[in-house]
Amino acid sequence: MTVSVTKDGAIELSGRCGVEDAEALQRRLLAAPRSTVEWNGCEHLHSAVIQVLLAGKPSIRDLPSNAFLRTHIAPLVRDWRGET
Amino acid sequence: MNEFLQQFLIESRELVEQAVDDLLALEKTPGDAERFDDAFRAFHTLKGGAGIVDFAAMQEALHCAEDALAASRAAARPVSPLDIGNCLMCLDQVVEWLDAIESTGDLPPDADARRVLARFASAAPEPSGPVDADASAAWLVPLRGAHPAAAAEAQTAVRYRPPADSFFRHQDPVARIAALPGLLALDIAPRAPWPALDELDPFACNLVITALCAATTADTAAALGDEVRHCDVETLATRTSAAAGHPLASRARELLEAQVALLAEAGAHEHGRIASAGLAAANVLRHIGNTTAADHVAAAAAASIAEGSLQRLREALATALGGAPSASAAEPASAQPRPGRTQTLRVTADRIDTLVRLTGELTVTKNAIGHAVKLAENDGSALAVTLKNGQAALARLVGELQRAVLGMRVLPLRTAFQRFPRLIREMSAELGKPVTLAFEGEDTEADKAIVEILVEPLVHVLRNAMDHGIEPAAARAAAGKPAVATILLRASREGEHVLIEITDDGGGIDIAKVREVAKERNVVSGETLAAMSDAEVADLIFAPGFSTAATVTELSGRGVGLDAVRTAINRLGGEVEASSVPGEGTTVRFTLPFSVLVTQVMTVQAAGQTFGLPLDAVVETIRVPEERIFPVGAAHAIVLRDRTIPLVRLAQVLAAGSNTRSGEAGPIVIARVDGDLGALQVDSVGERMEVMLKPLDGLLSGLPGIAGSTLLGDGSVLLILDLAELLR
Repeated sequence: MTVSVTKDGAIELSGRCGVEDAEALQRRLLAAPRSTVEWNGCEHLHSAVIQVLLAGKPSIRDLPSNAFLRTHIAPLVRDWRGET
Repeated sequence: MNEFLQQFLIESRELVEQAVDDLLALEKTPGDAERFDDAFRAFHTLKGGAGIVDFAAMQEALHCAEDALAASRAAARPVSPLDIGNCLMCLDQVVEWLDAIESTGDLPPDADARRVLARFASAAPEPSGPVDADASAAWLVPLRGAHPAAAAEAQTAVRYRPPADSFFRHQDPVARIAALPGLLALDIAPRAPWPALDELDPFACNLVITALCAATTADTAAALGDEVRHCDVETLATRTSAAAGHPLASRARELLEAQVALLAEAGAHEHGRIASAGLAAANVLRHIGNTTAADHVAAAAAASIAEGSLQRLREALATALGGAPSASAAEPASAQPRPGRTQTLRVTADRIDTLVRLTGELTVTKNAIGHAVKLAENDGSALAVTLKNGQAALARLVGELQRAVLGMRVLPLRTAFQRFPRLIREMSAELGKPVTLAFEGEDTEADKAIVEILVEPLVHVLRNAMDHGIEPAAARAAAGKPAVATILLRASREGEHVLIEITDDGGGIDIAKVREVAKERNVVSGETLAAMSDAEVADLIFAPGFSTAATVTELSGRGVGLDAVRTAINRLGGEVEASSVPGEGTTVRFTLPFSVLVTQVMTVQAAGQTFGLPLDAVVETIRVPEERIFPVGAAHAIVLRDRTIPLVRLAQVLAAGSNTRSGEAGPIVIARVDGDLGALQVDSVGERMEVMLKPLDGLLSGLPGIAGSTLLGDGSVLLILDLAELLR
């Protein structure tokens, strides 16, 4: 399970998130639209998951250690933060 | 030649073949993205290989072709026929160089890519064309604006629009972009505006990804793999100096690091190692366009050797590597093995031939043991039964080995056929006769020797079909035929034979014209000609000295006509015939043995010697009383079932003067050669056997009437007669 809920209610993406995680993430975001997404432990995000983040615009906290996600994906999905 | 260069030759030839194949396929269906990618990859890999062996001219030429292909891809237009022609010409040049390397064992010193470059230069679009990517693509503007630093450094920009079903095709578009060599920046936007989250289909891809890369357009396109068909790849204005802080493509970086590792193990006086590390590093840097660093490394290597210290080269390599971001973990997609290719072992033909020769000798030894068994049986030896059983098992195993080894020498006829689309394309353009070449049964297999020798006769026949068979456009139109003519090359296996048919839908053989020309050129006497049937007349096109071409063209009619075809096919133990229907076309049929190596022979004795006759040709063996052999001029003939058959007395032919004829006439072997019957009188007929025929070589090679030799069980040599030559 790479999409889970943390103790404080945030949606946690961890490890390698594959295409099947897109729907799980979408369901959680629809169930709790103001959830924060936590991706510290994320190593890989499938395009489908990135797509849900872009469409759902949840607030995202912290940065994963993976270099690609950090440099290239974080600026794209965290842009929405200001809206919340 | 060193092994490295040898490997380069083998691989390059394969790639050239593949590229030609792909280009010709592209010419037929210009939009075929897969073929395009294959061709592109072939050019790219060829270029890489040339870089590794340090063959600058070849690199340059291929680079040009690659650029032309990349330009058409960037402009999202199908490859033009002009580009295909130029790329083919470039490959021709490459083949020429490869031939030179093969014959001299070294790179051709005077190789010059200028001819190729000039061709491409004249074909380049006008300067206002899509070359200037800066102006052409609107999507570049926001991308550059968002990443000014990256834009200054980038050589290539990519826009990737994965189709909606991408996730189902197991594509991960963002990961694909992440794996691009020298990725500097990327943007992701929705293809259609994002719907509300509850309306979003998480399995439909709705992304447009744009990216800036430091790698060249070609490398980037190669890394995109098949997905490149959903991409726009634009070349950005290249920076003048690539020396400083150039992020190295992961491949180049790896290679440089390997040189550093090599040096770490080297002693200061190991000049060879220093020199090769320096050369390899310089080549890598030159390959990625960093000539300043390459020169620097080369100079440092020379200094290191002179000083007997590794320090200079180490420093230079560190500078070249320094400052570059760490190599991307992902390999370019082009490095992945092509799917669907079966694993094969590459063995040189020489080794297989050695195996064939050894098997042949084993067969001879087996026959010798058979001989020994017979002797033991005659002596009533107690060992005879044991020996016989052992020999039977050996015979079976040798037979199996023989089949297995011969199977290794087998090639699909496609290897011969694949050169023809190119040939037909050129002839078609030259003669102004549009033609499609179709294949059937190109997977049919035949012995390598046959497949290789077959090419030239087939070229002759195809040229002939193009030149004489297929009518000019006007005549075709008048006859109500389709404007595009068809030539069909069909191969099939029939028992121990391979059949090849070349069928055109042209005008057929003009029998009246053939008669006229044959008379005029004295191919046969007027009387004979008058008595010949139409089919026999048609066969005259294979006669020496015959050529129906009214004008000698570039293509056929160079003096060697179809008689060369018949000679070549006969030499292989095959036959050629032509049939034709006036107005509907001509079929030329080759009948060839499946393997040239195993021949069934019948032994005969004459003049105290034993000879073999190819069993294929033998029709029957008869005895006739001496008085029924009658002289015809200086020769002899017999009448068999109301046909007059010329007769040759083997003993007289072979040993002129020695007349060994006893009172009783020897048996007569009736043989069919080129469709005609001939009679050969011998002293006695022996047994049938299967032999490995070896062509005569050395001093004996010019011996007339002899097709080859083989060793018999008792160690004696059996000469196999060439019936065609004897009975002609």
